[in-house]
Amino acid sequence: MTCWSVKRKSTDYVDGRLRAREQARIEAHLRKCETCECSIDQLRTVRSSLNALSDPLPPTSLQTRLRVVASRERKLLYETNGSRLLRVWNSWKFRLNQIMRPLTIPATGGVLSSILLFGALAFTISTTTRQVGYEVPVIYADHMDANLVPTELRSSVVLTLSLDGKGRITDYAFHDDTGSFVGNVSRLQYNNIALPQFPSVLGLARPTTRDISISFIPMVFRP
Amino acid sequence: MAQPLLGNSGALSILAGAQTGVSEEDARILRGLRAGIEDAYEELIARYEQPVYGLVYRLLGSQPDACDVVQEVFLKVFRAVNSFRGQSSLRTWIYRIAINEAHNHRRWFVRHCRHEVSFESDHEERGHSLEYALDPGRSPFDQALDNENRTLIERALTRINPVFRTAVVLRDIQNLSYEEIAEILQVSLGTVKSRILRGREALRRELTQQPGAGLAEAMA
Repeated sequence: MTCWSVKRKSTDYVDGRLRAREQARIEAHLRKCETCECSIDQLRTVRSSLNALSDPLPPTSLQTRLRVVASRERKLLYETNGSRLLRVWNSWKFRLNQIMRPLTIPATGGVLSSILLFGALAFTISTTTRQVGYEVPVIYADHMDANLVPTELRSSVVLTLSLDGKGRITDYAFHDDTGSFVGNVSRLQYNNIALPQFPSVLGLARPTTRDISISFIPMVFRP
Repeated sequence: MAQPLLGNSGALSILAGAQTGVSEEDARILRGLRAGIEDAYEELIARYEQPVYGLVYRLLGSQPDACDVVQEVFLKVFRAVNSFRGQSSLRTWIYRIAINEAHNHRRWFVRHCRHEVSFESDHEERGHSLEYALDPGRSPFDQALDNENRTLIERALTRINPVFRTAVVLRDIQNLSYEEIAEILQVSLGTVKSRILRGREALRRELTQQPGAGLAEAMA
């Protein structure tokens, strides 16, 4: 018998599960092989030490916990009358309650706040709408028809606008280094550059009735 | 004696008689559990609390964790009692649940608490002083030596592979037969022998490496 065979059968040998003949063969090997004998002795020591371990006693609170569990399960069994479907339903209902319970107060507060806020803002919603579109049609190199200033900006330009108090241009003129130009308001595609027609914006700003001057300085960007 | 809550114990007794792996005593407990009889619950707890706790504690190495897992085990037993068909003994079934729960708990712990460090390193410092069943025939010196050996072995047990640890605990501490262990772990007899062999070998290596008196010196 080889050391490998002895090692493979060591568990059965130590536990006394081998037949007499096989046990005798192993013992004959152990008498000749000190390594295997030492190994078997150590395995026996391990086994006997484990056997001799005393049982850890559970804390007294554990029995109380188990009794509480038992009591709860008995109650559930009584309520569902053994019905698996009812039991599953009760189990999911309980879990859902556990999840929703901490959310109840903040969820209720959130819903009430939403109702109050919506109610307060509902009166501010206007029933009439007004389409507003504007841009500053002052200097566009490729939109010459809409330009207030029908020229390419090569030098500083001063643009003078006359406004009517509602953000509309009534008259305009500009001059640069080369000369001056008086505009034709009727040709403007968009003449409302002063203020957009939002009620809330009009509520915050005051339209002006006067002339205003705007200076434009050309900027050259070199690559 | 408490009255049964449900009146179907007659039909259940026929089912119990057909069960092959369950003893008459276990069958009686099962009937009582299914009928909701309080005494049956008490008897189950009284009979299995200690061995299940001992098994789980040896697998997890922590008293609070063992208590939590034992509670889960009994909860599962109470809930699954109707689906237990009696193909194995009641003890085998309960031990199987206990081992699965202990493994699940350990996997959850490794996944979620691996990086946590405890300030306490000893059970006594945590305030969970462990109690063990004492042998009144042992002298104080022998009891002190027993304590030391127990600490060495328990520490070595926590260091070996959990799969081998389970097999060794079931065989050498719980004193179950190879066949019972195979049934609990749902593996072959050869696998059980292999795991026990490797578990004992691993323990032997751990104990021969640890310095100290008593067991480690005996192993050297």
